[in-house]
Amino acid sequence: MKKLLAAILTLAMALSLAACGGGNGGGQGGEGTGDGSGAGNTELNIFMWSDYMSDSLVANFEKEFGVKVNISYMNDNADSITKLTAGAGDGYDLIMTCDAYMESLIAGGYLEPLDLSQIPNSKNINQAYWSEENQGYCVPYLMNYIYVVYDTERCPIEITCYNDLINPALKGEIGSIDGARNLFPIALVALGYDPNSREESEIAEAYEWLVKYNENVAAYGSTETNMVNGTISVMFTYDGNTAEAMSAMGDNNTLVVAPFTSDPVQLGFDLYVIPKGAKHMDLAYKFLNYICDAQVMADNLVENPYSCPNDAAVAVASEDYRNAPAFNFGYKTNVFFQEDVGDAIAIYDKYFQMLKVG
Amino acid sequence: MTASPNRRLRRQSCRKFLGDFYAVIIYAIFYIPVLVMMVFSFNNAKRNYAWEGFTTQWYGKLFSFGNHDLWESLAYSLAIAILATAISVVIGVLGGIGLKKFEFRGKKFINLMLYVPIVVPEIVLAVAMLIIFITVGVKLGIGTIVAGHCTFCIPYAVVTIKGRISGDNETLEEASMDLGANRFQTFWRVTIPSIMPGITSAAFLSFTLSFDDVVMSNMLAGASQSTLPVLILSVNRTGVTPDINALTTIMVLVMVAGMLTVNGIQRSLRRRELRAAEEAETARLNAARF
Repeated sequence: MKKLLAAILTLAMALSLAACGGGNGGGQGGEGTGDGSGAGNTELNIFMWSDYMSDSLVANFEKEFGVKVNISYMNDNADSITKLTAGAGDGYDLIMTCDAYMESLIAGGYLEPLDLSQIPNSKNINQAYWSEENQGYCVPYLMNYIYVVYDTERCPIEITCYNDLINPALKGEIGSIDGARNLFPIALVALGYDPNSREESEIAEAYEWLVKYNENVAAYGSTETNMVNGTISVMFTYDGNTAEAMSAMGDNNTLVVAPFTSDPVQLGFDLYVIPKGAKHMDLAYKFLNYICDAQVMADNLVENPYSCPNDAAVAVASEDYRNAPAFNFGYKTNVFFQEDVGDAIAIYDKYFQMLKVG
Repeated sequence: MTASPNRRLRRQSCRKFLGDFYAVIIYAIFYIPVLVMMVFSFNNAKRNYAWEGFTTQWYGKLFSFGNHDLWESLAYSLAIAILATAISVVIGVLGGIGLKKFEFRGKKFINLMLYVPIVVPEIVLAVAMLIIFITVGVKLGIGTIVAGHCTFCIPYAVVTIKGRISGDNETLEEASMDLGANRFQTFWRVTIPSIMPGITSAAFLSFTLSFDDVVMSNMLAGASQSTLPVLILSVNRTGVTPDINALTTIMVLVMVAGMLTVNGIQRSLRRRELRAAEEAETARLNAARF
């Protein structure tokens, strides 16, 4: 028994030593490629959402630069955070995440700072969508508005602000996306507070508002499906889902983006970051520069018709895309962003659970 | 006198009706979603909102070159499931026999600990393993996913196989060794065949668990490849496309065909066994006559 224990301990020690050695070796390798030696730089590893970038974009990039692109897929934004914070980030060269996580990722030192001079095409990106503190660390890919859409024929009232959503006339008419950080902000805005409030009293009030909202909601999730098949007549959802629903209804489309008068809507970004210790930095730069190219992104928008922060690409995008009613509404710049709320996230979780349990 | 058989008949038919009704409901709950999924693989629409007409274009898209992603992830999932099953079954057989046959200190404790990976939420195990692999410096990839899957497949395999070993096995093994077989021959030609049904079900169970898994496959995946369930869940962000319905339809059909084949083989084997027994019996009788 003692011998066995000794053997196990020895093995564990040997393994951890090997691990340290391996770690150092990896670090050196990373620096070597960072200098642009180019040797062995033939693979680019990306971690992102599936069905979110056109296959031909990837194929063309592979052909043009003679490299292989490996894409593995995430199921949740929290996935990329877990991978990064657990230290598995260095297996990837590019990771997709969203703006809400940027602050803590930068603070935690999980990202490689970007040298924008290596991404000349990044000038195509509208600076309004690229906050200063994020510029040194990420490149925005596509973005999504979260707004209210209703069917002009079936919805009993006209909706111009969030408070209209708790009108009893809408009972059972609303389809909604879910999530504490999507729902609480609209309640906070409706009540006149900061959408990223950290005050428990304000969040508690927002909870009361959401209880009323909850009574009007027919279903959470699958908003566009429920809208197209007529289960609901109002949806609180992403612009991409709206575009799908509108194109599914075709010529008979009676959906409109609610003409909000003063309430801001939430705007979120999917963006690329280079994780600390990435092995193929120069390829990652090449890829980022490639997707920022106006024509490349414009072609990508055909298969992935979402709001795009790349102004030059939007300018040369197809007419269908530019005229899509889902992306044309009057208050595109009246937006708020999801911010890191720090420890207050526990308050949100508490009230969100109360909301869900009822 | 005449009423009683009538009543009995009525009660019988009522019982039969209730039984059938129950079976229909249960099977309907099981299979209607699968059926809907299959029907929608022929839907002529980019997203599955509503039925818009018949098409086979999604099967075309599925087999086109543009979809190599889906096939690669299917192959990856299959490879992982086969490896995890092989490892789990081998360890399951050894563990099952060991835990059933031998008495040693801490046996009860080990028996109980077997259920820990089953009871502990998978995500907890997955994150723990991720941290271990990262600290030890193991490169994430197929190896780590297989290891992760084994953690929850092995307990199931051990429990299933252990349950299959009964007192009869010991008698058979003793008989075999009495007749001159050594331990290895006995293990290979008596023990293994006698617990074969347990091994098969453990293998099927492990395969299903591994092939289905999302949480471990997600956490422990390396940079180069995702498994099929992970890919499908990721697509789900914007809505599942009908080519995935097409792929799942094909998978269901292959599975059903596979099960029918296995069933057929088993039946023909049993028939052959019976025939052999019959022949032996006739031979014995013939021999006895002379």
